[in-house]
Amino acid sequence: QERSQNLPVSSSNIFSPLQVVVERYQKEKTLPPLNRTKFLVSQDLPLSQFAVTLRTRLCLASSQTFYLLVNNKGLPNMALTMQEIYHDNKDEDGFLYLTYASQEMFG
Amino acid sequence: LFLATLTYDTLRFEYEDFPETKEPVWILGQKYSVFTEKEEILLDVTSRLWFTYRKNFPAIGGTGPTSDTGWGCMLRCGQMIFAQALVCRHLGRDWRWIKGKRQMDNYFNVLNAFIDKKDSYYSIHQIAQMGVGEGKSIGQWYGPNTVAQVLKKLATFDTWSSLAVHIAMDNTVVMEEIRRLCQSNFPCAGAAACPAVESEVLYNGYPEEARVRDRLSLWKPLVLLIPLRLGLTEINEAYIETLKHCFMMPQSLGVIGGKPNSAHYFIGYVGEELIYLDPHTTQPAVEPGESGCLPDESFHCQHPPCRMSIAELDPSIAVGFFCKTEEDFNDWCQHIKKLALVRGVLPMFELVERQPSHFSNPDVLNLTP
Repeated sequence: QERSQNLPVSSSNIFSPLQVVVERYQKEKTLPPLNRTKFLVSQDLPLSQFAVTLRTRLCLASSQTFYLLVNNKGLPNMALTMQEIYHDNKDEDGFLYLTYASQEMFG
Repeated sequence: LFLATLTYDTLRFEYEDFPETKEPVWILGQKYSVFTEKEEILLDVTSRLWFTYRKNFPAIGGTGPTSDTGWGCMLRCGQMIFAQALVCRHLGRDWRWIKGKRQMDNYFNVLNAFIDKKDSYYSIHQIAQMGVGEGKSIGQWYGPNTVAQVLKKLATFDTWSSLAVHIAMDNTVVMEEIRRLCQSNFPCAGAAACPAVESEVLYNGYPEEARVRDRLSLWKPLVLLIPLRLGLTEINEAYIETLKHCFMMPQSLGVIGGKPNSAHYFIGYVGEELIYLDPHTTQPAVEPGESGCLPDESFHCQHPPCRMSIAELDPSIAVGFFCKTEEDFNDWCQHIKKLALVRGVLPMFELVERQPSHFSNPDVLNLTP
């Protein structure tokens, strides 16, 4: 419902950047929230580099877990480009939605 | 003999035996048939080191907790998967524990590394205190990655085992990083603690040591741990087949993870069920006897192992592998590459030759709403 309130996206060509929304998993307890959640990302950027950018913004140590899940389900191949992930998973509103989470704790 | 039989029968009521099924049972890379090899399956399971909650051990840090009941289950699972690595390293995958039989010294050396006292390499004391550096106060719950990171640090002090411990982050295994780590001959196990510069120092500054290095084995035994998240609230079904395959590889160390909130050490599967060792039993701490011998029966699970549906698995796990030689590692890489080609199987992690360069990228902009 919230998603459909976004303005429809104007026609995009192969050079225009992709619109990506990165959300924190609702039950996430370890990772901090991002101060911005919407990003414009170039099409040929590998997911691995986008993840590094997000890690840097969140000031995470390399030993901390940070997983980006597409459509709340899968761990995408980190070598794929944003364009490939966008093509297969974009929402009707023209945005690609990614969720980030660390790991659960056990007692 | 009568007593022993009685105890076994009583336990059979508490722990469900294996189902009569044609499906193979896989335990840490070995395949069994329930019909013809039930005894062998149980002997294999019993031979694994089983670490549970304990009470009345020396206080952690001198004044801290004397029991880990209620908080130590992931730490115990970390001990179990690492103990399996040490068993493979020092005793071999085919080694078996037989109740009452005199075991070799190396077995007691492995067991001693996990005993609940402050100076054992991988004791609950060491893990809990090293966890402080990972932002975990003593008594706080751990995740699979937390315990993996701590064990990697502790392994640097275990010169007896001289392991190379690699933790593959971001669901990506980089072969080049692992080769570099295993071929370095420094008494340190962590890539972070062992910057690449040091290998140049070795060759440039200490040519004699470099020559010694050539004579020694060129591959440190590798413990590879891969922390993963296979879904948000539940495991994505697409990963189930891949997860099963992890237990079929000869290099398998099993998986640490659990049901939500309670950690288990998964050692295999049958059909759609995972087979695991459960740390959620509090036993009294064991103290070494005066002669140095250690009562070891409580460190082996002598009843049929627990089972649970794979669908119940919490998505946060760490998968473990042990490659004693470079050949083992190459073989493991081949398994993973082949697996990626199987139709309908979704890889849980990627295997790549080298890390893509991580320059800070100007192409990512904030999109102002």
